[in-house]
Amino acid sequence: MTDQWITFANLDRLLDRLRERGQVYAPGKDDQGDFALVEPRRGEPVLLEYRNFRLSPKELLMPRNQTLLRFKDGRAEEPAWPEGETFLFGVRPCDARAIQALDEVFVDGESPDPYYAQRRARVTVLALACRQPMSTCFCRSVGGGPGDGTGADVLAMALEEGLVLRPRTPKGEQLLASAADLTTKAPEAATEEAEAHVHAAEDQVMPVPVDETARRLRDAYESPLWEAAGRKCLGCGTCSYLCPTCYCFDITDEVRGGNGRRVRTWDCCAYRLFTLHGSGHNPRPTARERWRQRIMHKFRYAVENHGHPFCVGCGRCIRNCPASLDLRTVLKEVGA
Amino acid sequence: MTAGHEIETRLREVAATLLCDKKVDLFLGYEKTSLPLRTTPLFLTSADEVERLAWNPFCAANLAVYLPRFFRAPADAREAKTQPPAPTVGMVVKGCDARTVTALIQERQVPRDKLVLVGVACPGMVDIRKAERVLGEQEALGAGEDGQGNIRVVVEDGSEVTLRRDLVVADACLECRSPTPALHDALLGSPVEAAETDAARRRTAEFESKPPDVRWARFQEALSKCIRCNACRQACPMCYCKDCLLDQTRPRWIGAGTDLSDVTVYHLVRALHMAGRCTECGACARACPMGIDTRLLVRKMNQEVEDLYGYQPGQAADATPAMSAFAMDDPQEFLTEP
Amino acid sequence: MAQTQTAPPTTGPATWQPKVVAFLCNWCSYAGADLAGVSRIQYPPNVRIIRVPCSGRINPLFLLRALQNGADAVLVSGCHPGDCHYISGNLAARRKFALLKDLLLYVGLEPERVQFTWVSASEGGRFAAIIDKVVEQARRLGPNRKLVKPL
Repeated sequence: MTDQWITFANLDRLLDRLRERGQVYAPGKDDQGDFALVEPRRGEPVLLEYRNFRLSPKELLMPRNQTLLRFKDGRAEEPAWPEGETFLFGVRPCDARAIQALDEVFVDGESPDPYYAQRRARVTVLALACRQPMSTCFCRSVGGGPGDGTGADVLAMALEEGLVLRPRTPKGEQLLASAADLTTKAPEAATEEAEAHVHAAEDQVMPVPVDETARRLRDAYESPLWEAAGRKCLGCGTCSYLCPTCYCFDITDEVRGGNGRRVRTWDCCAYRLFTLHGSGHNPRPTARERWRQRIMHKFRYAVENHGHPFCVGCGRCIRNCPASLDLRTVLKEVGA
Repeated sequence: MTAGHEIETRLREVAATLLCDKKVDLFLGYEKTSLPLRTTPLFLTSADEVERLAWNPFCAANLAVYLPRFFRAPADAREAKTQPPAPTVGMVVKGCDARTVTALIQERQVPRDKLVLVGVACPGMVDIRKAERVLGEQEALGAGEDGQGNIRVVVEDGSEVTLRRDLVVADACLECRSPTPALHDALLGSPVEAAETDAARRRTAEFESKPPDVRWARFQEALSKCIRCNACRQACPMCYCKDCLLDQTRPRWIGAGTDLSDVTVYHLVRALHMAGRCTECGACARACPMGIDTRLLVRKMNQEVEDLYGYQPGQAADATPAMSAFAMDDPQEFLTEP
Repeated sequence: MAQTQTAPPTTGPATWQPKVVAFLCNWCSYAGADLAGVSRIQYPPNVRIIRVPCSGRINPLFLLRALQNGADAVLVSGCHPGDCHYISGNLAARRKFALLKDLLLYVGLEPERVQFTWVSASEGGRFAAIIDKVVEQARRLGPNRKLVKPL
């Protein structure tokens, strides 16, 4: 299916229509006035002049708190599986790529995770290409880009009068087909203009040296740079919790009497407790080992296991770290 | 040269001297980082690198959070044999940092004689989120201070935006009652008086003026954003417990997730643990990725400790913290009578 | 501020009864409760008593956990100041309790949900009167919905 064209007015109509099929998340403002993926109220126009949201869409696929099962009176019951569809509009290409990475972990492997997979199957991702990257974006260095459509079902590119909609998956094609009365075939001039904007944005993304990162990291396991960075790390967990590709979790049972529930919550490798053994021994006792592990997991082990780094270059960890740690500095210094 | 630049030059001289004369093994300060409006902690061990030390309106972090780990007691006899001797640490302290260091000395977490404190009276540090909100979706590419103490920011199209200091200074700084470090071995720059000393009281009074159900609703709404990342606890210099009560699993006091009841208990317990100990540096609020006013509860708790027991944390290194003490005639109006 | 939920029934088989948890120090308050029992002084059966060695043993988390688990009110009772079996346990606790009560009031919890008293071993009648009061106040407030964690 070729690129389609939709006016902004029809975009609002499309989102209204999707709302009848399920939940719709689109760019809006949270109660602090910051841009976020929210469920916009009917009639509220979609806002498009944002860079990216503080939180990634990860929480919609892998909630911070997910009840896996309940047990009552000696019987376990699985919670109801989600029904209805979810449509995410306005997800940036980096975050859409991250969703694909999470799919590799939870869906594509030998034992798919039903708690993630069931939700994921009902989610349609409509990504929005970036016009203005931030100084902390480095998507191009990790295989992505401001106009990359990996992980999206539809890639939208905004122009003055409307958006070019490019289907990327059969699900995306179906969605556009169902909205055929709201769209027209995109004129070539529009497609060209959209791609020109993408190229302009690509030129603005600052490169970070990632050639041979996996090999350089392997050779730098005992480098003093881990201590130098690690000693500043507070172990606060902000980086993992905001990261769109971090997926580590903890499972706990919450029990009252004989009844209760089993809950999956987000966890973070920067916490001391993450690798604390019952014996009291901790193979990653200080922030040095934990910071090293974070970089190794994302840029070496992930490359060895999945073929690509588990980082999409969104820059959230860099912007939000209270100690101002910057993993780009590590990537530059390692093996240098 | 602005006042800030002068202080930065003096600071580098002092740090270099301390390191060269081996008066300190390590100097803890701030250095510029890859992003504007921020600094990153600097662990300086050589006088040759002293030019990295910075002093500017973005030196917001409370470096005292790194102190307790230098002075941890050995876990066992074997560690006692292999552990290197504790270093002498020099550090730059603002008003709040000095209060925190004093409180840590009071609680025997750091020894006074192993510290050399270079104090700087602080005019208030920039809150990144406030600045970014003023700038909107324009990204700051560079930032500095002008002669009036305002923040000049260069944005993407090359133009400059001036942010008025009082509009982007952190809430904790606006409420600070002692911007000039009381505890210091040297003081750089001239002392600064607090602009107003009852800002915190006004905020709690405003909250308390609401009826209980409204307070509960506002409290729950503020906490509903909490993602239980524990950044507030990790950034807090007074939260130095090796094993936090709220991480314990035997027994498990609160669930690990974001159930609002668990989030509520987490913050209530943290407030109780901080009562009479928090030095109001605002590190918790700065670290919180969700922008929650993490000081909502502790502000009130500190005021209660002041009102009931006449004690403020971080004022005198030899004072006994109020919550570690008691008196026969302590007020007990909270009791129920039949 | 009126409760926005329907008030629970007060008659019939579905009558709601408040659940009150009382932490009593072994040497004074628990003995006082014993004395009430031995003297056949009646008090409402809604109270569940947990015996602790001293009011100083009370961790504020005990109270918060009790409320999370569904208690409608919590009472903590210790020896009168000066009479503590461990000399100063209740004095140390007094400061904690003052702050805990102030904090819960500040966030809008009803003051009758968390209460503190001193009851000596000889005050059986006083103990019963306090339980009467706490249970009655909890009954009037209705079920605790703030802080309860649904599982």
